[in-house]
Amino acid sequence: MEGYEGASSSESVLDLSRLNLNNNSLDTVSEKRRKDTKQLYLCYNRMTVLPESISLFSNLEFLDISNNTLSVICEDITRLTKLKTLIAKNNRLNVFSLPKHFGSLQLEVLNLSGNRFEEMPSQCLQLLQKLLISSFFLLFFDEQTSHLELLYLGGNQISSIPAELANLPCLSYLVLCDNRIQSVPPQLNRLHSLRSLSLHNNLLTYLPREILSLVHLQELSLRGNPLVVRFIKDMTYDPPSLLELAGRTVKSKNLPYSHKDLPSHLVNYLDIASKCPNPKCAGVYFDSCVRHIKFVDFCGKYRLPLMHYLCSPECTSPCSSNPQSDADSDEDNSVPADRLQRVLLG
Amino acid sequence: MHKSLNSSSAAALEMEQTEVMKPDTLEDLIKTLHKLFESDSVNVEEVQSIMESYESKPHEWMKYAKFDQYRYTRNLVNEGNGKFNLMILCWGEGHGSSIHDHTDSHCFLKLLQGQLKETLFDWPDRTLQGGMLQRSQQVLLENQCAYINDSLGLHRVENVSHTETAVSLHLYSPPFQTCRTFDQRTGHHNSVKMTFWSKFGERTPYESTVSQENN
Repeated sequence: MEGYEGASSSESVLDLSRLNLNNNSLDTVSEKRRKDTKQLYLCYNRMTVLPESISLFSNLEFLDISNNTLSVICEDITRLTKLKTLIAKNNRLNVFSLPKHFGSLQLEVLNLSGNRFEEMPSQCLQLLQKLLISSFFLLFFDEQTSHLELLYLGGNQISSIPAELANLPCLSYLVLCDNRIQSVPPQLNRLHSLRSLSLHNNLLTYLPREILSLVHLQELSLRGNPLVVRFIKDMTYDPPSLLELAGRTVKSKNLPYSHKDLPSHLVNYLDIASKCPNPKCAGVYFDSCVRHIKFVDFCGKYRLPLMHYLCSPECTSPCSSNPQSDADSDEDNSVPADRLQRVLLG
Repeated sequence: MHKSLNSSSAAALEMEQTEVMKPDTLEDLIKTLHKLFESDSVNVEEVQSIMESYESKPHEWMKYAKFDQYRYTRNLVNEGNGKFNLMILCWGEGHGSSIHDHTDSHCFLKLLQGQLKETLFDWPDRTLQGGMLQRSQQVLLENQCAYINDSLGLHRVENVSHTETAVSLHLYSPPFQTCRTFDQRTGHHNSVKMTFWSKFGERTPYESTVSQENN
């Protein structure tokens, strides 16, 4: 996936892959060769530690150390100020393998797939455009990842997607396949640049209706998920509590409220009201709602189940007919006409 | 019927084909394929054996192997004098195809690099509920060549690796531009137009790029 572009002469490429090299082998490279090298391939060797001599390749921009048995990357790697791409897949790296100041590298592409990470290494997230990683359980994101364009998390044990993942405005390719994900948070519709979303081989039964607002989404993989095929007729509906009824009235009548009038926990409660998607209904709901599945053709797929939340059983989904009907229409009247056409034709 | 040949049966077939030598290079393979497809009838075992016997050399096909970050690509190599299309498909990590048919054509699939998982399906039966059930699966290794046509069923092809890309060589005879993709959950199908990411080593960006893959 990471091809290197821009090497103007072959002297700047040094291919030392598949040579049975050990940790001391880099010492034999001449000083001139070290200064000239911009791309260095050390894959398929027998290195257990990335040696300090790597820092002598002072003009290095691309380093591939995949398929060794590396468990340590030395601190000296941080002296490679021009390094933009680091490929270290299929090694034995974990969070403790990376040097403390690894984050000071101005990396754009980092591939750590096929290693032994159980946590996201937080010290590597600045300025990244592409991050590929497998074998970890925790996710950690903050403003430092805002440049990320590609995030590959396939083949991990992820059971839920944190809503913080939505804070990635440049993300165009998100790979979450081969995990244990049961639902996609609706906040993912904030990934405005998303072009391709890989969700195959998870535990999804439906998708959130909000996915329709990802206007640039062209690829969506969903095979190997137990997606529902038929509208589920018995939806249990718990009638709203007194608190909810009061909250609904306050919101729908636009009654002003503030911390001066109400205890703060009630102000917070009122602030999280969700709007009913039925355009004919101005209602809101809090915890009590009806879940309704709509089938929509989207992204080359036929009849994807999208989940709507409606404020009551009397409310109808933004569509024609009878929500009890088995033969759900494929139309969704709240989606703009030109987007609808694109959706249906894939 | 649907299998890749092991080396001993391939060797036996080779000995019978005194006219056709094992191709050393990709150029040789293409020349041999042109000869084999001169007549209108196709000897499937012979073609499969010849394709399998070419040992993949990346420097020979690298110029056709153009990857896309988001999905697999189809890169035309040779038009076989109108008798067949020979193309190279490049699969990034996790990339997979829809379940599809082959529009009454022969389809040969040889691995040049990496591995691909092939899942076979029967044609959907309207009376069956619960979607399309897979019939069998196999993992194709480097240099193996598989074969399928519509009478044998439908298939889905996937690169299931999260760390390695895959490259495959496909031969379709006669050539076809559209095929049907199937929704596994319902058996519903769509016709899709097939496009090339590159032709003869040159990128062709003005063909349709919107994905129609049901995967």
